[in-house]
Amino acid sequence: MKRREFLKRAGLLGLSLALDGKLGSVSASVSPDIAVAEGSSPEAITTQAISALGGIRRFISRGDIVVVKPNMAFDRLPQHAANTNPEVVATVVRLCLLAGAKKVKVFDRTVNDPRRCYIQSGIKEAVEDAGAEVSYIDERRFVDVEIKGSVIKKWPIYKDVLEADRLINVPVAKHHGLTRLTMAMKNLMGIIGGSRRLWHQHINEALVDLASVIKPALTVLDAVRILIANGPQGGDLKDVRRLNTVIVGAEQIAVDAYGATLFGMKGEDIKYLRLAEKMGLGRIDIENLSIKHIKS
Amino acid sequence: MNKLRRASQGLFLVIFLALFLSTESTGEDELGYPVKIFLELDPLVFLVTLLSNHTIVKDLFLLSMITVGLTLLFGRVFCGWVCPMGTLNSMVGFKTERRWRDWHRVKYYILIFILGSSIFKLQIAGLLDPISLLIRSLSIGINPPFNSTIHSLFETISYMQAPLVTGITEWIYSVLKETVLSFSEPVFRQEIFIGFIFIGILALNLLERRFWCNNLCPLGALLGVISRFSLLKRFASDRCTRCGLCDKVCSGRAEPHKMELWRKAECVYCFNCEGVCPEEAVHFVLKGEGKVMGLDLSRRRFLISAMAGIVVVPFIRSEPLRKNPNPVLIRPPGALSEEEFLRRCIRCGECMKVCITNGLQPTLLEAGLEGLWTPLLVPRLGHCEYRCTLCGQVCPTGAIKRLTLEEKVEVRIGLAFIDKDRCLPYAYNRECIVCEEVCPTPKKAIWLKEADVKERGGGVRRLRQPVVDPELCIGCGICETKCPVVDMPAIYITSIGESRSKENQILLP
Repeated sequence: MKRREFLKRAGLLGLSLALDGKLGSVSASVSPDIAVAEGSSPEAITTQAISALGGIRRFISRGDIVVVKPNMAFDRLPQHAANTNPEVVATVVRLCLLAGAKKVKVFDRTVNDPRRCYIQSGIKEAVEDAGAEVSYIDERRFVDVEIKGSVIKKWPIYKDVLEADRLINVPVAKHHGLTRLTMAMKNLMGIIGGSRRLWHQHINEALVDLASVIKPALTVLDAVRILIANGPQGGDLKDVRRLNTVIVGAEQIAVDAYGATLFGMKGEDIKYLRLAEKMGLGRIDIENLSIKHIKS
Repeated sequence: MNKLRRASQGLFLVIFLALFLSTESTGEDELGYPVKIFLELDPLVFLVTLLSNHTIVKDLFLLSMITVGLTLLFGRVFCGWVCPMGTLNSMVGFKTERRWRDWHRVKYYILIFILGSSIFKLQIAGLLDPISLLIRSLSIGINPPFNSTIHSLFETISYMQAPLVTGITEWIYSVLKETVLSFSEPVFRQEIFIGFIFIGILALNLLERRFWCNNLCPLGALLGVISRFSLLKRFASDRCTRCGLCDKVCSGRAEPHKMELWRKAECVYCFNCEGVCPEEAVHFVLKGEGKVMGLDLSRRRFLISAMAGIVVVPFIRSEPLRKNPNPVLIRPPGALSEEEFLRRCIRCGECMKVCITNGLQPTLLEAGLEGLWTPLLVPRLGHCEYRCTLCGQVCPTGAIKRLTLEEKVEVRIGLAFIDKDRCLPYAYNRECIVCEEVCPTPKKAIWLKEADVKERGGGVRRLRQPVVDPELCIGCGICETKCPVVDMPAIYITSIGESRSKENQILLP
């Protein structure tokens, strides 16, 4: 990182912390359900959106151990929009550390070879620069968790997630053949162990079961680039749209419902979102939610 | 001098092992280490590739000429100072003082046999070439049990849940993971077989120190032939009392105590004789003239070996595989046409060591006896990673072409077939399509067909069933690897459609 860039970044982040909860006279108690920021710098819009939601301090306390869970499941480059934008993930990491988090851990149980996914996605380098601890999945660290859901009764979940003080879900918005879209709820499949390919037979119910036990404190949906076809891997730049947008919210289901609109759909069009709403896990009627839009 | 020699052996062994351990993906596109350099320094690999395939691989030529040059100057110093296989043999046999029967000529007959068959385009040098043998044995036979031993040891400790102990052992474990352990535990077919052959070869050192090097090694034989013309020669002065100590410490079968009958081609220049001589009578001098012992091979055996090498070719070649391609013989991407591939592949196992998914495995008879221990992809164990080009990067002979990323993703190594009796949406009316999700081609080679299926109760249900597009499928096998029907997958790859073959095709060209 160049010095000038560093100073700019430090200034931006410092400002965001100072303004946390004050921006636009929004206080934590009346902060919007969802904040949507649009602009050419992934770092700036991520920072702005989180500030608009009440700031990172609303979600992270000093001394917290935080897991930041991006989607980096595929051996693809950032421009393919198959993995979360590295700058978005790194910005979330930086904000957590500035808010006093003791440690920020980043990992994913990948589909392609983990080494290639971590490197080619650009996320490993970006978040390590930001101060996160990056590790590959250690199969010994999965712990059986009682889920008692409609299809998933018990499943191994990564210990680091269970033991963390806070989980921040940082997915990317993509097309998916089976579920139509993969965003926040689907991204949490990266923290489960076992033979997760068995989930596909009841994918919607299984995702809802998982969401009922794993609740991220904050969800940052990366729509800097979205993948509109041939997901979740993509590979053809023609299937990528540049939206320069980041959507954040405390309720991952609401964030996903907003995300669906980026693809010309509604929350109700996605079965797992419908089921999640029915289970009372969150709202998908975004027209009734308070949404703050920021454009830079 | 022999201290210096030991230092050199140690240094080269460490370099060799470090490069061996670095023959592994870092996640970057390029490996970044010259992991095949010892193979490229090997003139036997160069010579047989030249004879069997009439090709000169540039790096192989340039580097092996360094070894030839060194041998012309100093004799078999490669054997005594550089070769990691020689060093391992010296180490295992360091206490052995016995000698086996005088078999040192056998290695020349082996060499002649190999060269004889090479001329008739049968490439079997790799089975006995020491560098190929060593890398293959370590990759397939030694590294996997080494890894599993360490893993199970530390995992047993970690399950004991003793806080203080596991704190320390986990730290040691993580250091080992960073250094000597493979990224994930490797598994190979024939592991025990290839491992035992290697251990057997090392055990021969109990019969005689450097048994392999003195009696069997075809590279040692080739360098022995070249060393006939070398300049560095051994002389014993008048002070020699014929005490015979030099013969006892000789690493080779050079018979230094026989003075001018010293077998130069058997000397690996260990300098033990110089060091041990109580009269300091032994000297090595760079000198053009001076009579030395020839190879002393029997003409009859020479001819028999050459003939055997030639005759074996049609016996091995008469194979039904030559009439019909083997569906399970899925070669790595960039592999040349089968005939040329077999003429070039030296079975060093570098591609199998580097394969990022551990899917490349040694053949037994899938490619005929001729193709023993060449690589094939077993998608059930590991697929061909779409954006990985490592196997072509480490192949020393070009049997697997070095492909750019753009070229690699265009290469077909086979084609996927769906077994509808096992595929969940077809056989059991259940959603699945994991294969479609993982299919890596930019326009997915597996697409989803909407189907209305009758249910047991009489209702109709709409679900999606996978269909393979043979125009787009490259046969990478990730669908087979990830298919949830784990025992016998509902989607599988066969070799048909492979880019390298004219005959093994299913679509109009």
